[in-house]
Amino acid sequence: MSDNIKRRDFLKGATTGVGLGMLGAMGVYSYSPLRKKYFPETVRKMTDIGVCKSVKVTNVSETSWFENSVLMGDIKGAGGLLVNQYDYNWPPFGNGQGLGKGSYQDGMDKIKHLLPDKVDEAWDICVKNCVHPENAGGFAALVEVEEMSGKKRKFLLDTGWSYAWTHECFKREGIDKMLLNREIEALFISHEHFDHFWGLPVTLKYDPTITLYIPEGFYSEGLQYIKDCGHTGKVVTVPIGLNPHIPGMATFVFDIPIICRVYGEQSMYFNVVDKGLVSVTGCCHQGIIQFAETAYKEIKYENDNFHGIYGGLHISPFDDWDPKYDDLVISLRNYDFDRIGCNHCTGVLCAKKFITAGYPVIEGTAQHRSKDKAYLGNGDIITFG
Amino acid sequence: MERFGEGFLEERKLVKRWSGPVPALISIVSLFAVFYATWWIFQDPRGYMRMYTPYVGYMYCRWWLIMMIWMVYIFNYWPFKRSWLESAHPLYKGIALTAVSVGILLLLVKGFFEGFLGNYGLAYFNPEQLEKLPGITSFFAIEYASLAILMFAAIASWLSPAWVVAFEEAPWEKMKQPAKGFSILMLTFFLSTLIYFVTMHPHMGILYHPWQYFTSIAPPYWEEFADTVSGNFHVGWIMCCTVVVWLVETIWERYPFNLIKHDWTRRFAAFFGIIAIALAMHFFFYFAQELTFGEAIRGTRRGFAPDWRWLHVGEMAIFLLVPALFLNFYFGNWPRKFSMPVNVTIRTLITIVGAVLLYIVYYRTSHLFLGTQKGISHPQQFPMIPMIWLVNLMLVQHWFMDNWPGWKLVPKTAEEIAADHVTHQAQIDEIKPTPRFGLGLGAGTIMGVVFFFVTVWALPFFYQSIDLIK
Repeated sequence: MSDNIKRRDFLKGATTGVGLGMLGAMGVYSYSPLRKKYFPETVRKMTDIGVCKSVKVTNVSETSWFENSVLMGDIKGAGGLLVNQYDYNWPPFGNGQGLGKGSYQDGMDKIKHLLPDKVDEAWDICVKNCVHPENAGGFAALVEVEEMSGKKRKFLLDTGWSYAWTHECFKREGIDKMLLNREIEALFISHEHFDHFWGLPVTLKYDPTITLYIPEGFYSEGLQYIKDCGHTGKVVTVPIGLNPHIPGMATFVFDIPIICRVYGEQSMYFNVVDKGLVSVTGCCHQGIIQFAETAYKEIKYENDNFHGIYGGLHISPFDDWDPKYDDLVISLRNYDFDRIGCNHCTGVLCAKKFITAGYPVIEGTAQHRSKDKAYLGNGDIITFG
Repeated sequence: MERFGEGFLEERKLVKRWSGPVPALISIVSLFAVFYATWWIFQDPRGYMRMYTPYVGYMYCRWWLIMMIWMVYIFNYWPFKRSWLESAHPLYKGIALTAVSVGILLLLVKGFFEGFLGNYGLAYFNPEQLEKLPGITSFFAIEYASLAILMFAAIASWLSPAWVVAFEEAPWEKMKQPAKGFSILMLTFFLSTLIYFVTMHPHMGILYHPWQYFTSIAPPYWEEFADTVSGNFHVGWIMCCTVVVWLVETIWERYPFNLIKHDWTRRFAAFFGIIAIALAMHFFFYFAQELTFGEAIRGTRRGFAPDWRWLHVGEMAIFLLVPALFLNFYFGNWPRKFSMPVNVTIRTLITIVGAVLLYIVYYRTSHLFLGTQKGISHPQQFPMIPMIWLVNLMLVQHWFMDNWPGWKLVPKTAEEIAADHVTHQAQIDEIKPTPRFGLGLGAGTIMGVVFFFVTVWALPFFYQSIDLIK
């Protein structure tokens, strides 16, 4: 046998062996407990965001839409959950051409001259040109933080969708007067979704100078909408990551893709003295457990305890279900929250599964068109601390 | 006796219409043009039919792939005659065969799954039956039914070709069409049903509230092992099986299983070998995500959720399929001049590099032209859909249209066919268990293990050096 043939035989064996060795190691090692030695140790940054005395959340509105079947019918008819939200022909961006054929510009051309002062008149135009305006509701919450000195500071988290509904809710909870009196320092937009952001002119009607905190990731239409609504105050684009705001309060922006072509979500953390961490969310598309894990890695909080949650937990927003949601219901126990006030996109079914599982869900009054007591409903209040 | 398309793919000679890389470039450009046009018409959320809801479009996309596999691999183009396959204009042939595949697709989805199974067996295959449940919307009824039908497709897209590639059509290899086709179809469909029931049915069972303890195993038996109750755990390894079948068939030329002389030993080794390789990929791709994205956290959503990680295993695998088929269809399975193991190794390396590049390019750019959302872990977005859509069109071009317009079909002479067989057999026969081969095998195995750990070490650094989402 010549050297050349021997070398060729060796090469054939070696190339075959590389494949076998690689695949063998992949199969045997990759999911074995041994792999965990490659995982970096969790280093807790323990960022000190300070402490506050208490946090009070008033649910201005958690009802983003009134009939799930109507909303999902629109989504189905327009082409599913990936369609750009500005194209659905939902209010206020309606052009009268029907479902899935709307555009930002067409809608704004009809109402821009009325914003923000004449929101009711603008809404009347929207009703004529948009798909299912009667189904639009919105999400908004008043967050009141009591500092250690006793001073109370007010913030708005999100600003609803339907101008008419948002206006009604603002009046019911006195938000309109607080805005007029400049009692509310800032409006935090959790994300660009229609039901959290499109009711912006109602806030601006009463305070066009209010400082806006929007998460990084807004699309051009959303940024233009802020201008077209007549906002004259400061717009702060909050970067991805932790952003301390006042003692005991920080927001965190998650870089996540969201349905209906939205990107990025901002949620709130509070460190309540002697109690622990409180999370307040708009939709929590990042997932409540991811939100809690992020807090664990990033923030120092009282007693190292997860005290409370308020808001939409985005589990089954359309009363849909998936086994992965059961993973959440099963795993939430590990985080041992003291109080859970959930609503909006949590899903009534999920809230009921939480109650069945024995979690400390704070039930609501099911008033002002909130549908179930498993939710902390419209007009209900939850206080932490 | 009419042979229909039996041996057609092996016995056709695809001759370049022009010299150099022009045919490949023209075919690829036309492929992408058709891809984009059809994507816009059928799938794109901004387009005409907007089937990317996502599950409706995904389900049809997946079953269309299987229809073509059935027509070509299992039925050997029956009832189309060999003379027609060899003489019809590729465009005409492509339209006719595609129309037939779509016709069978609609019959299967609407008739068999939704109409028959959904009305007389399992309600979740039929949206109208699901809509009878209180609270469920029409949208999610359609999505759930599409998901169930899709999951069946995932299994069938592995088993249907596996019976041809691994089991070499046995024990019906000598039977004529359509009896052979129906025999293989019945068996693979039966096996798909069995695997569906033990992998996907428990997933569907816990979609209901309360969990359907009396009709499916709840919580599913894989919960502790996979760290999730989601059936995505199975989607991952089944997708890997699908991809490995085609790697074995194309760039690996069925190596090393073709070294086994005994027929049934070779067949079983290939069938279970494919599963073993797929499981190795399954676990490694999960580990790769842990090394790059971070450790999974049960109960959370998107990129850190174990269920998404398992799904992404399948998505990562599909990125391997595209370059492998490109290499095979448009570049003549280059290289061919070395020994089979060396050729296979080089092709595998090219495929891996191609897959990594495709992965990066896809996540950085796809949202700019597919109407999708930027980001890796959007819960309603699956890179498998555009990838399989592309693969489907590649199959149409390669199987139904003889790589038109870059190539033309010329039937091989009997001598050429015989020469091909001799050459192929000679490549297999030259691999002998000599002491040098054994030495190389041992050294190579050690090197393979070393490469694995080097890859594991390098992956986090590599991931940190790229920006997937701009």
